[in-house]
Order: sequence, then C-alpha cells, then structure tokens
Amino acid sequence: MAMNTPVRRPGGGLWRALRGSRKATAGAVILLLFAVMAAFPGLFTSVRDANALDFAPRLGPSTRHLLGTTALGQDIWSQLVYGTRQSLVIALVAGFLATVLSVLVGVSAAYLGGLLDDLLSMLINVVLVIPAFPLIIILAKYAGRGSLTVMLTVLVVTGWSYGANQMRAQALSLRNRDFLEAARVRGERRSYVIVAEVLPTMTSLIVANFMGAALYSVLSAAGLQFLGLGDPNSASWGTMLYWAQNQQALQTGSPLWSLAPGLCVALLGASFALINHAFDEIGNPALRPVRRRGAAPAAAAPPVDSAASDAQSEDSPLLRVSGLRVAYQGARGPVEAVAGVDLTVRRGQFTAVVGESGCGKSTLLFAIAGLLSAPAAVTAGSVLFRGDNLVTMTEKQLNALRWRDYSVVMQSAMNALNPVRTIGAQYRDAMRAHGTFTAEQVRARSVEVLELVGIDPVHLRSYPHQLSGGMRQRAMIAMALLFTPDLVIMDEPTSALDVVAQRSLMVQIKELQQLLGFAVLFVTHDMSLVRHFSDQLLVMYAGQVVEAGPTRTVFDTPAHPYSRGLLEAFPSVRGPRVELRGITGSPPDLARPPHGCRFAPRCPVVEERCREWEPELYPVGEVRARCLLQAPDRRTRPLPPVEATS
Amino acid sequence: MTAETAGAAGTAGTTAATGTHGPADTAARPALLETVGLTRHFRVGGGLSRRTLHAVDDVSLVIHDREIVALVGESGSGKSTLARLLAQVYRPTGGEIRYQGRSLATLRGRRAQLAYRSDVPMVFQDPFSSLNPAYRVSHGILRGLALHRPGLGRAERRAEAERVVEAVGLAPAAEILDRYPHELSGGQRQRIGFAQALAYRPRLILADEPVSMLDVSIRIGLLNVMTQLREREGVSILYITHDIASARYVADRLLVMYGGHVVESGPTEAVLTAPRHPYTQLLLSAVPDPRAPLEVDAAAARSDPPAVIDPAPGCRFRARCPLAVDACHALTPRLRELGPAHAAACHVAEADAPSPRASAAPA
Repeated sequence: MAMNTPVRRPGGGLWRALRGSRKATAGAVILLLFAVMAAFPGLFTSVRDANALDFAPRLGPSTRHLLGTTALGQDIWSQLVYGTRQSLVIALVAGFLATVLSVLVGVSAAYLGGLLDDLLSMLINVVLVIPAFPLIIILAKYAGRGSLTVMLTVLVVTGWSYGANQMRAQALSLRNRDFLEAARVRGERRSYVIVAEVLPTMTSLIVANFMGAALYSVLSAAGLQFLGLGDPNSASWGTMLYWAQNQQALQTGSPLWSLAPGLCVALLGASFALINHAFDEIGNPALRPVRRRGAAPAAAAPPVDSAASDAQSEDSPLLRVSGLRVAYQGARGPVEAVAGVDLTVRRGQFTAVVGESGCGKSTLLFAIAGLLSAPAAVTAGSVLFRGDNLVTMTEKQLNALRWRDYSVVMQSAMNALNPVRTIGAQYRDAMRAHGTFTAEQVRARSVEVLELVGIDPVHLRSYPHQLSGGMRQRAMIAMALLFTPDLVIMDEPTSALDVVAQRSLMVQIKELQQLLGFAVLFVTHDMSLVRHFSDQLLVMYAGQVVEAGPTRTVFDTPAHPYSRGLLEAFPSVRGPRVELRGITGSPPDLARPPHGCRFAPRCPVVEERCREWEPELYPVGEVRARCLLQAPDRRTRPLPPVEATS
Repeated sequence: MTAETAGAAGTAGTTAATGTHGPADTAARPALLETVGLTRHFRVGGGLSRRTLHAVDDVSLVIHDREIVALVGESGSGKSTLARLLAQVYRPTGGEIRYQGRSLATLRGRRAQLAYRSDVPMVFQDPFSSLNPAYRVSHGILRGLALHRPGLGRAERRAEAERVVEAVGLAPAAEILDRYPHELSGGQRQRIGFAQALAYRPRLILADEPVSMLDVSIRIGLLNVMTQLREREGVSILYITHDIASARYVADRLLVMYGGHVVESGPTEAVLTAPRHPYTQLLLSAVPDPRAPLEVDAAAARSDPPAVIDPAPGCRFRARCPLAVDACHALTPRLRELGPAHAAACHVAEADAPSPRASAAPA
C-alpha cells in the first residue's frame, strides 16, 4: 500500500491557518507596529523627554508637531510614542501572568477534581461575579497609587478568572479521554500528565486566552490611569488621557490630546481581539465562516433523470436510485463519496448495504433520505420514491413525506432523541408535525407502537436516559413506525449494542417488517448481521456498488474478491478454528481514487489490467459484480481510455 | 516472590480456573497474575439516594504465563472495571490482586509501581481517543521507554520504537512513527496502542475491547497481531470483549462475566461446546454466524442490563434466565467446578452436571 501522503504537523497547520486568517494578519501587523514603537521610540520622534514642558502650549498639528502640543506645552506625538512602551508592557505582562494563573487554577481544578475542584471553582466563580472595575479602583487606592507593580498585580488578580473557567471546562472535557488514562497507566506522574499531555492539546485556547487577558489589561490600565490611579508622571496613554481630562483638552481646543491616546488604546485592544478571535476560530472550527469554494452544484437543481416523469405503475419499485453521485467539498477539492449508485427496493423488501467505514454507505443513505447538509451535495442522479424524485423536492415537500411515508432510524438513538423530553412527548411532536390528532389518538397510537416493539407503555413517561441502549433503539424504531411508513431507512441501528441486544433487535425488526409490510434499507459494516434478515445485499467499496444480488447467493458464492474478503473476516463460534486473514490495507482516499479498479491495491487476485481498466457491474448469474474477472468479454473488449485524475 | 507461594495461594484462594484437576500444562504452570475475591463498588447518587453500584463482585481469576484469556460479557458486566483494577487505575474495594505471587497492596514506592506498570500495560478501546492528538505517534512509545527502560539511550529508544511498530505489523516503521494520530486509520492507531504496550517488554497486556470500534474487516488483522505477540514476544493477554466469536479465535481460556460476577470459566473449546451457564448459552446463540442457520429465541434474548445497584442476594441473571428456580432468588451461586478446569456459577447447572469428584479421579 502506497503511503505517500505528506506528513502534516499541527504546528505547521496552525501556522498556515493563522497566515490564511485575515483577522490574525491584521492584528499581528498592528501589534508589530506598536512593538517597534515601544522598542525604538527614537526612530519615531526626535524629542528625548516627552514629558518636558519644552514647547508652546496648545499648538495645532504641524510638520514639527504632528499632533500639536498639549496645554502644558508637550509634543503629543512623542508622548504617544513614549507611552506605547508602558501600555504594551502592561498588556503583555499582565496578560501573561493572568493566563498562567488561569491555566494553573483551571487545569488543576479540572484534573485533580474532588474537593479541590469544588474549592477552586467556587473561587473562580466568586472572582467572576465581583464587578472588576470598582474592585480595581478600591485595590489601587489602598495599595497606593503610582507603582507599576501594584497596577500589574491588580490587573492579574481581577483578570484571570474568566480564562480559568474556560480552561477548566476544556480540561474537564479532556479528562476522560483515553490518552490521558493511557499516560496514567503508563505510570506518568500527575504533574507530567498535566504539563505534557493536557496542556499541548489546549494550545489554541491558551493563546486565545492570553490575547483576551492582554486586551482586558490594556483597557483596564488605561481606565485606571485615566482616573488618576496610575503614576501621573509616567509616560503612558492612560496618563495622557488623565492629563488631557485634567486640563479640559476637549473644551479648550486640543481634541487630539484626548483622541490620539484613546485611539491607540482602541487599536492595541483591537489587535489583541483580532488575534484572539483568529485563534478561537482555529481551535473551534464551528466558528469558522463557511466558505463554499469552487462551483458546488446547487442541491436544488441537479440533473433530473428522465425516468422521473414515468408514471408509477402497480409493479414499479418503491424506491429506485439511479446514477446517484454525492460530493463533499474537501480541503483538497471535491471528494466523491458516492460515485454513481443504482439501487432498487421493492415494496416489503429488506435491502442491506454493507461496507467498511468511509465506503460511502451512510452518505448514500443520507442522500436518499434527503438529509444531506453542506458541504455535501447530490451532484447527479435521481432518487425516485413511489415515482417522485426526492432529489428535486423542496425541503417543505420532503418534510411532508418524511416520517409519514418513509422514516429514518439513526445509529445512535441517544443522539437522535431529545434528552430533556419524555418519549411520549417526542412521539406527540412527531405525530402533530404531520397532521391534526387528538390527545387520545396520539396516546393510543404511541401505546400501540411501543407494544409493537415490546416496551411497556409506562415508558412513554420515561426520558431517554432512563432506558437501556437496546430499549432506546426500540423506542426509536417505534417512533419510526408511528405512521406505518412504506420504507424505513436504518443506519447501523445496532452497532452501539451488545451482541445479545443486537441479535434480539434484528429479530424484532424482521418480525415487524413481516407484520407491517414496510420495506427496509439497512446499512451496516457487519455483513454477518444481515445474513438471515435481508432479501438483497449491496456491497459498497470506495463509493461504488461492487456487488449486488440476493443475500443468500452473495453469501454462498461471493463474486467479488472484496465480498469474499468481508465474509472471511469473521471468526466463527462453531466448526474448526482456522486462521483468517481479513482484508489487508485500508480503503483508498476518495479525493484521489486509484486508477482502474478501486479495490486493486488491496485485492488478493489482482491482475495488471485491473489497475488500468475501470470495471463495470457485470452480471454473474443472479448477482452483479464490479470485477474484471467477471467480465463476460474480458479478453476481447478494447481498452477504455484511462482518464487522468489529478 | 516465588512460584511456590503463588501455587499455594492459587489452590487455597480460588476454585475458578486454577486447573487443579485440569490439563497438565495449565496445572503445572504458576500463576502470573491472580485475583482473589476482587471487588469494586462505586457510590452513585448523593445525599439520601446514595446507593452502591457493584461493578465487580468477588472475582477470582488466574492468568498464566504465555496465555491468552478472554473476558467476555456485555456492557455493564464489569469487565472494563476489572481491567482498570488490574491496571491500577482503580483501587479495589475488597479482595486482592497478586502479581507473580505478590500482593499489589504491598507494592511500595514509585519504582515498584513502575515495575508493575511496565509488566502489565493496557490497550484501550477507542483508537480515536487513546493517542494524544498534539504529539506524533512516537510520543507514547518513547515516553514509555524512557520511563520503563531508563537504561536505553536516545538512539536505542528510537530503534526499539521502530522494532515494536514493526512487530505489530506496521511499515515503514520510521515513517509511521513520525505521523500524527489523525493521519492513521483506526486499525493503524490500535496497532500503535499495542506497540506502546509492547515497548515495555510486558508480561501481560490488558486489552480492553481493542477491536470493538474497528470495522469488521480489519478486526481479524488485530486479533492476529495478538496471537503473534504471544508466540513471538511471549506475553500473556487478557482480552476483554463482548464478541464471543473473536474470543474463541484468540483465547485459550474464557471467563464469562455477568453483573459483576464471573459466571463461567474454562478452556475455550470446553465452554463453547458445552456451555454450562444459561447466560453463556444465550451469548452463544446471539453470535451472528453467517455459516450457521438462524436459531434464536427472541423472548430469551430480550435484554435488560443486570441490576447491580444495591443488588439483592441471589443469581443476578435470574430475571432473564429460562431455568431459574427458587434457590436462584435466595442464594448467590458460586463458581463450582463442573468439568476439567471448567466451572460455572449456576444452581441449576450444578444439579445436572457430573460430580466434580468423579472427574477429578484420573488426575
């Protein structure tokens, strides 16, 4: 198996993400400018002592005095330049110390837990609700005014709690991750686990926090100095604001004395806020604005299959999927997760779709159910349900059909059910969404479906978490049967269950299906599960159907090497113990599917031409298989041209 | 401690699968790891509704050198708690764990602790969360080597890391080690989990459902890795699973857990061909086997998890058991030997089983 994917480093990824973010770039440019100004004030002004009263008061802007002079006769521009250093130092030092404190308190509270966590969280929450600014004023007043150390202390003491809360939340969510337990089982000390295992996974949050704390410090320091709680002789923007207010700069015709330092505070604050937000977006992809690159085909108007106009006759299939293609917009261009699937489900038929993770089986199911969401979209093909094309329907039309005529059971009932509403309430919602029913009708039907799946109707008053995993899936299936739909679509409904619960659920689904006559489209990675339950079987690999036919036939005489591999992957509880090999390697990257047969890199019976020819689904008795070995005219057929895929 | 102590403790402390009447190879071997009446309870709820969850109750088991033992049970049976007790993530509420004859409670000091941890590492269930995403794959292996084999230099650690990665069937090792977890598939990550454990030169690997989150098609590859590790590296493995078919594929002996108790134990084929406990029979009938005709009694398979919060005395399987008699409601059955090295905790199975004395005679 070729493993030539370039090695990606999170560090490199972070850097690239930052460079790509306009917010981060803008913030960094402003910050850099101020940093240069703070480090080399001499480059920006020829005045050596900005506080000296060397000039005439209240001069307007000129080439000598870029921003004019103060009422006391100082050059405003050079005061601004010299003030940068203190503002920046306060921001960085206070920001850094506050962040250290947040990390220390937040992470140890979360990680060590117990009584310590209770105490520390209480402390965090108390500091959080104390109105910070009045406290700062009082603290600064008592600590004596003027000293930079006092100012920093005050800012750190009041500025750490918000961050600490975030750190604690993040560390709590990490706490039960297996890699931390693995480190403990390895024998690492607690301190090592916190410093070397927990913290590196929190980098972007910590940086974002530092920027937030710095922003807070800049604003608070300026505020304190403005109120006269700083050293009145220091060179800083806040002190400038203090003197400008003192001398009534706005009223006496030198507005730049107030405006310029105010603007600088705002700019520096903005640079921290911009970088902070950029890091937030990187750490939390949910905040990232969705950018649709390229010409993503509109889901509303894909090409319509001509069959769509066919009138539905009595023996036409319940569901006919033709040439269905679904693509995701990936980071490296479109990824075709479903690459031209045809499938037909007749009334009352149990159809199983099997394949490994990433073969596109769940995407296929979502596309059929009309549940795809961006960045995935149907790019071609049609889904005819009772003759109507679901692909071209509006959301409103789909909603009318969904649940009433076809319903969907998801992999995890715990996620699909609302945890804060009772089972009964959720059934009521589902029914009322599709018609007007009296409370009595709703209740009668709810009791009926629960009894169908073998759950005591008292559980209508239960919340999902009060039911066991198997019961939740049953309750979910009962919900799918509220309207006796024609088709129930199931996405690995048993994969979260134990063997025993799994087996009994399968038996039950089959019984219900025979009783009520609905068709089932069932997706699973476990081929052995559907052996006794499904009428037809589709084996999917890398977005394509590689074998389709009656379940019995596929199991008895698999025609595709992949199906054979799947079948040979199961140890048996009976018969002789034989060594099994399964299927070596892993499925291909769908962004760059292999040339020719997609299974060729893993195929035990691969031939040279398999890497060049793209096989079609060839009929083999009752089944169809996408394997050149099954091609009827394999020797005589001309070579199809190989399209270069980049 | 020496083998004599371990052997004596084994016969005195357990009736489970010490093999006093069993095949000679098991009987002769001293226990590598052994638990006696191991118990772990958790408090659930608070204030007035405080109750006790009996996750693991009175479990006695033995694992020998170079032996793969499968611990089979459904979720809530206590099998993962048992693994975490053995890995010293949890402290036992009662009973003890003996490693090479020595009780873990007597381990004092960090050095002794580390020595045990390096001998008995653990592989976790979820390959997507068991590797730290901030580090390259090599991180865990190299850290483990630095901790447990401090004699190795930097280059030697790297070479050893490559060796163990190759030993679990990943190639090219050097390149794999420099990748980040998100660049590996689930199966590859789980192999890294085994490579980490292997780096310590372990005696016993605790594998907690190592394949249950992987695709069926790649599970078999990992199971093969486990058997190869036993053959080539000479380790023992405690394989925890709910899939009895995969347990049969790799294990020499089976322990079946239900509701915190070991309800049946014995050589794999003996348990599977003649399961004594009704729960084992149910488990077996539920295994999807495409090669066999369908035979399942849906009513018996109706599953409710065992009540392990403040359990009343009696058999914990009785509510689901088709054979329950009065005694099952009053008396908690204990493991009793019913065949060569084959024991079950069931009042009913006891009644129609051959006498343990009779089968012991030719030993």
